[in-house]
Amino acid sequence: MTAAVPTKPRRRRNIAPWVAGGLTLFVLVAFLLFPIGTTLLNSFAPSGERFAFGNATFENFTRFWTSAQYQTALINTIIIGLAVTVLSTIVAVPAAYFVARVQMPFKPLIMSLSIIPLISPPFVGAYSWVILFGRSGIVSQYLRDWFGFQMPPIYGFFGVILAMVLANFTYVFLFVQGALTAVDPHLEESARVMGASRWRILRTVVLPLAIPPMLAGAMIVLIEALGEFGIPAVLGGEVYVLSTLMYFQIHGYFNLNAASAIALVNVAITLIAIVLLLRINRKRRFITVGSTTRRAALQTGRGIRIVANLYVWGLLAVALLPQAVVIFTSFAEKWPGTRWPLEYGLDNYRYIFSRIVEPMQNSLMLAAIATVVCVIFGTLTGYIAERKTFPGKWALDLTIMLPFVLPGIVTGVALLVTYNSGPIALTGTAAILVIAYFVRRIAYIYRSVVAAVSQLDLKMEEASTIAGAGWSTTMRKITVPLIAPGILAGAIIVFTTLISEMSTTIMLYSARWKTVSIAIYERLESQEIAAAAAIGSVTILVTLLLVLTATRVIGKSMSELFS
Amino acid sequence: MTQTPKSLTVKDLTKVFQTPEGPTTAVRDVNFEIEGNTFFTMLGPSGCGKTTTLRMIAGLETVTSGDLLLDGEDFRRKNAFERNIGMVFQSYALFPHMTVFENVAYGMRLRKAPETLIRERVTETLAMLRLDGLEKRHPADLSGGQQQRVSIGRALVYRPDILLLDEPLANLDAKLRVEMRDEIRRLQKTLGVMALYVTHDQEEAMAISDRIAVFSKGRLMQLGAPYEIYTHPTSVFVADFIGKANFFLVTLDGDAVVAPNGARFGGLPVVQTVDEDEWFDRTDALMMCRPEKMWLVAASERTGDTGFEGRATRIQFLGTFVRYLIESDQARSDVIVDLPAFAPGVSEGDAVRFGPAKDGMVFRKATK
Repeated sequence: MTAAVPTKPRRRRNIAPWVAGGLTLFVLVAFLLFPIGTTLLNSFAPSGERFAFGNATFENFTRFWTSAQYQTALINTIIIGLAVTVLSTIVAVPAAYFVARVQMPFKPLIMSLSIIPLISPPFVGAYSWVILFGRSGIVSQYLRDWFGFQMPPIYGFFGVILAMVLANFTYVFLFVQGALTAVDPHLEESARVMGASRWRILRTVVLPLAIPPMLAGAMIVLIEALGEFGIPAVLGGEVYVLSTLMYFQIHGYFNLNAASAIALVNVAITLIAIVLLLRINRKRRFITVGSTTRRAALQTGRGIRIVANLYVWGLLAVALLPQAVVIFTSFAEKWPGTRWPLEYGLDNYRYIFSRIVEPMQNSLMLAAIATVVCVIFGTLTGYIAERKTFPGKWALDLTIMLPFVLPGIVTGVALLVTYNSGPIALTGTAAILVIAYFVRRIAYIYRSVVAAVSQLDLKMEEASTIAGAGWSTTMRKITVPLIAPGILAGAIIVFTTLISEMSTTIMLYSARWKTVSIAIYERLESQEIAAAAAIGSVTILVTLLLVLTATRVIGKSMSELFS
Repeated sequence: MTQTPKSLTVKDLTKVFQTPEGPTTAVRDVNFEIEGNTFFTMLGPSGCGKTTTLRMIAGLETVTSGDLLLDGEDFRRKNAFERNIGMVFQSYALFPHMTVFENVAYGMRLRKAPETLIRERVTETLAMLRLDGLEKRHPADLSGGQQQRVSIGRALVYRPDILLLDEPLANLDAKLRVEMRDEIRRLQKTLGVMALYVTHDQEEAMAISDRIAVFSKGRLMQLGAPYEIYTHPTSVFVADFIGKANFFLVTLDGDAVVAPNGARFGGLPVVQTVDEDEWFDRTDALMMCRPEKMWLVAASERTGDTGFEGRATRIQFLGTFVRYLIESDQARSDVIVDLPAFAPGVSEGDAVRFGPAKDGMVFRKATK
């Protein structure tokens, strides 16, 4: 009776997820790998030409040997990167310990305040340090008049490192705080039962457990510091780093190939740093989160509580000082080099009102489009990467994560170099900005989705399939509703960080497509400080409102989004 | 309520997984046939291929080679979601964002059933599983037993042709497990649905099944009713896995079985076994005896029976019988003897003599 059955029956394969994944891969190849590859090749081409095998040259790199400016920029980048990473870690770890383990009031508020530096336009805050500590800054003037103390110049290493540490320490803080809060209390309890003193437990159990998240946070700080453009552009003065040198090569000389070579060196040192950090962290893989939902006991001693409160609130005060100064400055109407402004009012807001509408619209629109595209493709690709096995999976993973380690300005340079001319000339369009935002930020959604899907019992999807649902129905009715919080959290980060994105935008914007960060940068360049501050204040406010609304909707706290 | 009986044929079913270490055969040439409302259990240790076989039948795993036929129709050409089967998972896999009612109604909704029928069927199914009143709860608010009932309801509500159960009781506590297995069988018989059940628990398999398929290392070792498998195992593996068994290294001398100490036993059935037990490198044959089919006396006592010597290391009183654990160099490992009452004059640490009372059997390696 079964004779008619073919011997090799084939079932229809579901291609929908593969199409989505393939499309993502195509975009990544076309707008990430290909531009990076082009950049890599063009860095070996003579100035003004495209790479061909005939014209290969090391000319663009030899400047790293011959030009003092290149050499110091390289060395400055490394010094600043290391100093910022080490100082951020030193500053953040005690704060993280205090918040995780000491009885303190207003912890949710502390956590929310700590992420404000992450969502503010970076260089506006940077300029605040000039207002405070510059030659005619408020604090500098008081110090000089009262104590005869001359502040070291804020332009240069001091200002850059200070501003970067305060803008980035939150990463280490959030990672370590999260880990210390989640540590299984049984670990410490068993140490205590074995007779260890509190100090000994701290030294031998708690702190070692905090090392992997600390290094993970430090790695992000390092990557940010090595690729940061806004802060060295504002506060660098004579001190050039690779990102500002790149900008200089393009906007000064329009020498794309020289910029490519610098980009390559920038990526190389970032990669070396990451490999070193991963190597240090490799042997430390603990699973510290236990099965109990009970939290570790908090320290309640009077002494430790005073120290903890002073330290944490002091740190937050310093870290939020730039934002406060920005808002203060935005109300200053006449400030002709005097100690304090002579008049206050809303004139700056009146002045910028007509000028901010368009950049704000642009920023919100570009960020929104890029976020939606990231959500759609990041979700599908993340789902496939977690649920399916296919050859070359590691390559997809690596490609998507690549922009994490690429300084934003490098991605900008690469896209600029590749799509500047030729059949697909995209420079100056909104599309190139959306594409740049997409390749730079899809990893956030991708990672959120991979994490959320790995937490989701595969059997749940199988149960849906067995009950009679095809892939898309299962996705719509089961998978997406269950991972929605993860997707939304990722989307909020993507959207808010894109509103004030600077490093990539600075390379790719055009007169038609100026964003708020460009508007602020232009005001700073033309010394319209108060106007820049007003735009900055509006941006901070809009971003904060968006984050707060979004966190209300998904029921997660602000700090949870960024951990 | 009962459905038209179906028949499932599994023919030369094979599954090869591609692993980084190269291809691994998880299921090799498995054949069986299930008729009507049989409760069929696939039993074996973890990694034996039973779950993979179940998942191939479900369509969750691709078939490397072989045939799956439902009522003679090729099952392999259908996607998992087209096969009209129900499946119950060890982890329940309830949808946490849906109420109990919506979880159970899920399959009905996918089949585009009219709302009144959905309401009627779901209510009826929940009542049958004694879940009435919990319709509006979410899975997180239910106990483990209740969750498993919901998941059974979800699998049965649309009257599947086959009900697949993948270790459904493994996450429940011992008492609930016994209760639930009787309930599952009662439901299955009431609805008249064919059931394929996977477990590693041999007691559970014996209690619930009409037929048991014992798996080892991807092969189906033996297929039969529980009693048949227990009393007539065809391999050392099955004898060892189902119930408790004692093994003695013996040689064959014509019809007689000779132990190393010279004891001779006659009239035992000899089975050629396919399994590759490493003991066959050291001996011709293994004699198997169930613990309850053995005699045991103090070493000082003289009897006419031939037997083995050893030392009783532990004596356990287990209510309906007394269990003796015996250390002996004449057995493959420690020997278990179950007696209806205490053997006179034997205390822990004493030397004993023991041997098969009846119904022993001998396994000989298959000659190739």
